[in-house]
Amino acid sequence: MEILSNLLKFIVFDVLGQASLLVGTMALVGLLLQKKSSVAVITGTFKTVVGFLIFGAGAGVAVGALANFQTLFSEGFNVQGVLPLAEAVTAMAQTRFPAVIALVMVLGFVMNLLIARFTKFKYIFLTGQHNLFLAAMLTVIFKALGLSDIVTVVLGAIFLGLSASMYPSIAQPFMRKITGHDEIAMGHYCTIAYALSGWIGSKVGDPKKSTESIVLPGWLAIFKDYIMSVAISIGIFYYISAFAAGRTKVEALAGGTHWLLYPLIQALTFTAALYVIITGVRMLLGEIVPAFVGISEKFIPNAKPALDCPVVFPYAPTATVVGFISAYIAGLICMVVFAAIGWPVIIPVAIPYFFIGATAGVFGNATGGWKGAVAGSFVTGILIAVGPALMYPMMESIGLTGTAFPETDFNFLGIILFNIGKLFGLA
Amino acid sequence: MKTGLVLCRTGMGSSMMLRIKLDQVIAENKFPIELSHDVMSGANSYNVDLIITMKDLVSEFKDSGVYVIGVLDIMDKKYMKAELVKFFESTT
Repeated sequence: MEILSNLLKFIVFDVLGQASLLVGTMALVGLLLQKKSSVAVITGTFKTVVGFLIFGAGAGVAVGALANFQTLFSEGFNVQGVLPLAEAVTAMAQTRFPAVIALVMVLGFVMNLLIARFTKFKYIFLTGQHNLFLAAMLTVIFKALGLSDIVTVVLGAIFLGLSASMYPSIAQPFMRKITGHDEIAMGHYCTIAYALSGWIGSKVGDPKKSTESIVLPGWLAIFKDYIMSVAISIGIFYYISAFAAGRTKVEALAGGTHWLLYPLIQALTFTAALYVIITGVRMLLGEIVPAFVGISEKFIPNAKPALDCPVVFPYAPTATVVGFISAYIAGLICMVVFAAIGWPVIIPVAIPYFFIGATAGVFGNATGGWKGAVAGSFVTGILIAVGPALMYPMMESIGLTGTAFPETDFNFLGIILFNIGKLFGLA
Repeated sequence: MKTGLVLCRTGMGSSMMLRIKLDQVIAENKFPIELSHDVMSGANSYNVDLIITMKDLVSEFKDSGVYVIGVLDIMDKKYMKAELVKFFESTT
């Protein structure tokens, strides 16, 4: 009897307490449910565990490069600089609450399935990395409010399930316009911005004057590769901060590296960290998402899959570039304005401005042509700067510094939940 | 057995779903091809017979010398099947 209870304790607290093994177990169950071959089950399980560990390793590198950037930026400008990147926040949160985040993600998916099965919200949110980011944000909020692990898992799963089922419905009228059918939904937690962009487009422009009749200069294509776009955008801001902070401050951080090379190396190190994180996420989700898809196609036949934002890019490729540029300009303006009014300064990092701005561009273009794409993504660019600026103090209170979530839907939900928590005297 | 590579911008979201749909098409039709998926900047580290990506990224692989399929509608399995049939016809 004692052996049995010890074994149970070992499995529950030691094995499943190791987040990497917990995630591996989820993959194992998913692979077994899909009746895969034994070779596929074993390699899939190991790849998932290794992916999770790679994800954590990238976090360590990102934290270092981020901290140095923050030091230079605050020395140079006397304000805090925040890089809004969900990948970075999640990787950092994951080092603090690994098992809780993994459980919120999987139980949140179960909630999503139940809601889709029994209510009229038929969306199944299949963008694995976004569910992971949202699980991290919910965990951070509930932990910042001082709730226990169990309460965090339960509340986190409920709100993740609700978000996964309901947010896609906000963007659906516009998704029908873009794709011409009703089979897929937007599975990217910026639906508030996308729907707003679609609405603005319908007010300012004419869908017949589409972005797709514009020819853009070819060099803009380098932004399609996120390694280039991140390295360039962060590199520029790293150099600006380094010059503002001055040679002595940079040399104090740089060790033996020449102070003019140091920002370049740091910016590339951050890009490398992001590549590692994204590679880890891809390996981690490579087995879990197909299991999610298999399960939802089996149990909820009329479900609508909500998919990652690039699924709409082929419908208006030029709008993606127009949207990126317009959102980025909005981001630059916000940076200056926030510095002037003393808010945390949100540095426009290319990744969120590209993916979110691009998608907003496609939505705006569908209802208002090029004018809609420009106006819709500009407003979106403002929203993804205001959101993290408002949320940052809360992230900081729990020790996650230097980065914040850009996604509108995360911040909208996060700010509401945090303030409700405060009303009840938590935090 | 042929090899294929599914690519997207980060290799996390849309290439994953594209691969799931393609794997369904491949299984339903018993096509002799095995897929993997990655980020587009990782494309050079593979030696594959076929690249499949979303339509807006096709131009990135023009010069690769590899057969490329561009998909507009990620749920359109009929199109994927037709394109894969064309690919197999071109290689025999």
